[in-house]
Amino acid sequence: MDRDTNRRPPRAQDVAPRVYDELRRIARAYMRRERPGHSLQATALVHEAYLRLAGGPGTPWHDERHFVGIAARSMRQILVERARARGAQKRWAGLDRVSLTASLVHAASEDAMLPALDEALERLEQIDAEQAKIVELRYFAGLGIEEAADALGMSPATLKRRWSLARAWLFRELSEQRG
Amino acid sequence: MTADQWRRVRELFEGAIDRTPEEAAGWVDREAAGDSAVRAEVLSLLEHHSRAGSFLDAPVTARVPDLLDEGDDEARLTPGGVVGSYTIVREIGRGGMGRVYLATDNRLARTVALKALAPHLTRDASQRERLRREARAAAALSHPGICTVYALDEIGDDLYIASEFVDGHTLREEIASGQRPSSDTIVDTARQLASALASAHARGVAHRDLKPENVMRTADGRLKILDFGLARIDSSAVGVDDHTHSPARALVTLPGVLLGTPAYMAPEQLNGQPADARTDVFAFGVLMYEFACGVHPFDAGTELARLARVLDSEARPLDVRCPHAPPAFAAVIDRCLRKAPAERFATAAEIVTALDRHAQDSPRRNLAWWRTHQLTVMALYIVAATVGWSIKETLDTRSTMWLFVVLGIGGAVAGIVRGHLLFTEQMNRTRLASERRRTRRSLLTVDLAIAAALFVDGLVLAQRTPLWAVMTMAVALGIALAAVLMEPATSEAAFGTSD
Repeated sequence: MDRDTNRRPPRAQDVAPRVYDELRRIARAYMRRERPGHSLQATALVHEAYLRLAGGPGTPWHDERHFVGIAARSMRQILVERARARGAQKRWAGLDRVSLTASLVHAASEDAMLPALDEALERLEQIDAEQAKIVELRYFAGLGIEEAADALGMSPATLKRRWSLARAWLFRELSEQRG
Repeated sequence: MTADQWRRVRELFEGAIDRTPEEAAGWVDREAAGDSAVRAEVLSLLEHHSRAGSFLDAPVTARVPDLLDEGDDEARLTPGGVVGSYTIVREIGRGGMGRVYLATDNRLARTVALKALAPHLTRDASQRERLRREARAAAALSHPGICTVYALDEIGDDLYIASEFVDGHTLREEIASGQRPSSDTIVDTARQLASALASAHARGVAHRDLKPENVMRTADGRLKILDFGLARIDSSAVGVDDHTHSPARALVTLPGVLLGTPAYMAPEQLNGQPADARTDVFAFGVLMYEFACGVHPFDAGTELARLARVLDSEARPLDVRCPHAPPAFAAVIDRCLRKAPAERFATAAEIVTALDRHAQDSPRRNLAWWRTHQLTVMALYIVAATVGWSIKETLDTRSTMWLFVVLGIGGAVAGIVRGHLLFTEQMNRTRLASERRRTRRSLLTVDLAIAAALFVDGLVLAQRTPLWAVMTMAVALGIALAAVLMEPATSEAAFGTSD
């Protein structure tokens, strides 16, 4: 056992069980909100997030909250990349202003929106990193209000209000993009 | 807007959303009286808040449930359709890299498996170049155990790989059937698979995605490895530095590829380090372990727990979990499953060597001597009884009569016991050692009794026909020597111990 420990990079080996537990928790959190039959997607996403964390360039995490944050970020990357690979930008650019706002309001063609949302999130991050974090936890990792509040160490009531702010800000950013 | 202003905006926004819209406007006006930028921003955000509808209401994965599916964005080809010089017969599979069709290559009128690579793999120019290179390397492999790649065709914007069509079933299906293979099948399968891998390793090509789904067995029992060297194609869609060219990274850079399972990935692959022949050796170990026992060596409740065990825990030794597997094979697999690549076999060729070496001094070959011995002695019992009968017929005395009774009954009993041992050896190998221990003494006694009886028969015959007497006594001595000398020798050769 010692022999192996020396040869392996310590990072993944130290954290693997913890990574697993955390990801399971995240997966549970968002399988609850998913329609039955879509748990496969949840598993796949968690799976990829794990591989990204275990296989990626070392981002050592300090504690559980930090970890959840990193996992949520990799889920965001995975999903946005996937949307890009599907040619989301082209479809998004093809929407005129009216249908763009309509699709935002009705949450239609969300996959097409993802790259634009990702860029808007980057801008939001410049202004207020916590806001972007909340969006990652809620929208990309699918955490509920309580869980997201827990991950950020704030009260659920506060999180709910900040989440509203982030939503409003991003909605404006996306709907006025071509204004 | 300054950080202070933004903080103020946040405060006011948060204060306002709990109020009614009319109340909120007045409240913000009063609170932000001194700063028109803050006031305008808050009002704008509040206004958008009220219009946002279902925007970001539910997690993206709930809204776009198929986002991670490896898309239906690729066009499907229908039977009878023509692509370049291929006529589609039917779809035969769907994998991480795209759909696979049974098709006819009209140029050569041969049947091929045509893989239409998913568009997300081929969109990027450097990615296409990579595919060409990988396909060339794969096409250079020529081994009966490797599915031959015929061509990489670029038809329009799409890329197709045409390869040998292998008709059969996958090892996954064999594992899932629930029937455990015999030890001969296990060793034969391991050897075929390792030789095919070895021929590719000799050319510097590693498979990188070896798993039961990728190994097919044809109707005549030959194994064929599919998708050789092509696994690597998945990587680098988001072209970055070279260490990312492992399947682990591939899986994450291209979500669509995740349909496969990383259950066969070596610890170093999971850690994002480069994959090489030793990674295949690990995958080979996992695959053969699962093939022999029906259980994954790092089996756990969920896929993620399994990944954690690949990284952290030792596999349960094969001989514990699956006692019917030949011990030498178990030793080979255990070495394949070492965490540190340097402790595994360096290439599959070493696995072949190890399997062969074990086959030579394995019990299997030496068991043949033991079996021959058992059968020969059983034949001698018949000879002894027959001789006893003819002597009794020639010299019908009380003693020849009793000697024949001893020979007949002794031969029948000992023959049945030896038959039982042979049967146990074939059908229930694990009980063999104890059965042999249990019967050893009585067999020796009966053998010596038969030899003695036959020898006495020979003495009785001596006055009448000396030649036959000598031959009878020779057979008697043969039986005695077989019991005392040869039996321990063949047992020791076969089982390592004479008892």
